[in-house]
Amino acid sequence: MIVAEQKPLQEIKALISNAQNVLVVGCGTCVTVCFAGGEREAAILAASLRMSTRLDGKPQEIRHETVQRQCEWEYLDQIAELVQQADIVLSLGCGIGVQAIAEHFPQKWVVPGLNTTFLGLPSEQGVWVERCAACGDCILGLTGGICPIARCSKSLLNGPCGGSEDGHCEISPDTPCAWQLIYDRLLSMDKLHLLMEIQPPKNWRTSRDGGPRKIVREDLRLPTKEE
Amino acid sequence: MDQQVTRNREANQVWQQQIVCYACEHCAYAAADLAGTLRMQYPPSIKIVQLPCSGKLDVLMVLHAFEQGADGVMVAG
Amino acid sequence: MSDQTTLEQKAHSNGYLAGSNLERVLRAGHFAVTAELGPPQSADAQVIRQKAALLRGYCDAVNITDNQTAIVRMSSIGAAAIALQEGLEPVMQMTCRDRNRLAMQSDLLGAYALGLRNVLCLTGDHQSFGNHPQAKNVFDMDSIQLIHMVAAMRDEHVFECGDPLKGAEPRFFIGAAAAPFAGPVEFRPYRLGKKVKAGANFIQTQLVYDVEAFSKFMEKVRALGLHEQTFILAGVGPLKSPTMARYMQQQVPGILVPDALIERMEAAGAPWAGKKKEELTKEDKKARTVAWQQEGIQICIELIQQLRQIKGVSGVHIMAIEWEEAVKPIVEGAGLYPRPQVN
Repeated sequence: MIVAEQKPLQEIKALISNAQNVLVVGCGTCVTVCFAGGEREAAILAASLRMSTRLDGKPQEIRHETVQRQCEWEYLDQIAELVQQADIVLSLGCGIGVQAIAEHFPQKWVVPGLNTTFLGLPSEQGVWVERCAACGDCILGLTGGICPIARCSKSLLNGPCGGSEDGHCEISPDTPCAWQLIYDRLLSMDKLHLLMEIQPPKNWRTSRDGGPRKIVREDLRLPTKEE
Repeated sequence: MDQQVTRNREANQVWQQQIVCYACEHCAYAAADLAGTLRMQYPPSIKIVQLPCSGKLDVLMVLHAFEQGADGVMVAG
Repeated sequence: MSDQTTLEQKAHSNGYLAGSNLERVLRAGHFAVTAELGPPQSADAQVIRQKAALLRGYCDAVNITDNQTAIVRMSSIGAAAIALQEGLEPVMQMTCRDRNRLAMQSDLLGAYALGLRNVLCLTGDHQSFGNHPQAKNVFDMDSIQLIHMVAAMRDEHVFECGDPLKGAEPRFFIGAAAAPFAGPVEFRPYRLGKKVKAGANFIQTQLVYDVEAFSKFMEKVRALGLHEQTFILAGVGPLKSPTMARYMQQQVPGILVPDALIERMEAAGAPWAGKKKEELTKEDKKARTVAWQQEGIQICIELIQQLRQIKGVSGVHIMAIEWEEAVKPIVEGAGLYPRPQVN
């Protein structure tokens, strides 16, 4: 899932300070399951903002609504009327949701209420960890299902570096060394031979380094009118 | 002047804190009910909200209470 | 490069891969000595010259660190060029942290054009250690890929992308680091093997204080035949104080410091032990520092003598961090002075 966390209230207040009518939009997908921007968080934030702005002596109208997914046009259509009534939209979606609202409602000013943090999973209740860097060229088949791009601090392909000690990374005792994890897993699966090969430099073109990415699936596209 | 303010306040009415009490229907709410049958008095500024369980309480309920003007929230269960 | 035959095939017309002094000393079978020179956090060339004066004549080559511990310093190329003017042979260190493959290759070309002949290919400490933790790191490549790239430029006359070089190739004597005691320890000899396979001509190890543990590592290295394909220089460094020894033992990843050595350092400071800071005069503190330093240098000399006995160890790399003065007594004490002249 996409993991995000809410911005501090003061920062959010500064982002919406010039608006009278604010619409807080939650998202029912990734940010709901990481408790950052779902229906509940949208309601809590709206109530907090209403009280806080009232205490400041400059009360703002704050309404809230949550859509199933901010990143798909059809869900955004459902809130079109509410969006039109608002001076500003405070999106509690990930960065994709914020941009989808901006793109779908070009006349409306949209601000983010979350910091989109990483692609990951909850390792235990209340703890989320990064798992994927969306590099566009998956090598998990070589590393026993543990990603060194996302989980090694240096994204090494031929690790571990000299900073690995007692299973943790040199940057922090709380950060497991991804290459120690890979080593342990390959050892337990009797596949250490995979580590003996030198991995050539990565082609980062499929990652963000090749510019903004796009996938076109001709088999799924709707025929154009001329056809 | 301070005295005047105090006097005026007393003249109008005694200010009372508005308290919202979220009470579990199995224990605290039943106790409040019993207190009622025993004709025990408690201030009318305390509003009791029945919950199926105090574990049902949500941050949002507390915020709503404050937003509606409560001075304090009490959870009983 | 997988064995000596290919090494000779890849050699230049002069019979050497790079023809650096370090390569000539090692190929002639001498026990090599390299040292380390940390560039200043300023544009002051004089610092390099002063440090160079302390090292000249006492080592075969000097490593010039590259933004060591992720703290901004004069560039390793710039500092290495000054060291070269001062009559030292530099080993330019290059990390993957701060440059992508374009910058690394252009720096290699520039460095060679300036007369540098040795390069040490490193991954680099993470930037969170240094004075710019907010920086974006690069790590476009890792150290093993960097080694391969430098070797391909030299031996196959090609850039990393496969395009041929248009003119003279940079002919570097290629070095790599080894951390025998970092985790997972069982994998370390194999990772060294990967570096050798990628093209590492010489290896400088992390600091060795535990000779027994290092011997075990070397046993495995010999079993893999790596000592016959590359020159291994064991890393050593003089301890400055018991505090520093304990810090290295507990805090620095990949370094084993046996308790016995810490006890020796403590014993050296015994005459002043048990006294509070206020009770020690300036002279006391100075005398204690000198006693510690002498013991640190003595331990370092003994370590070199022990390491020299291990088959497959072709030299030592002396890391006297911000204590370049220590190199002279260590090299002399270990009977490694004067340094050989190989033409």
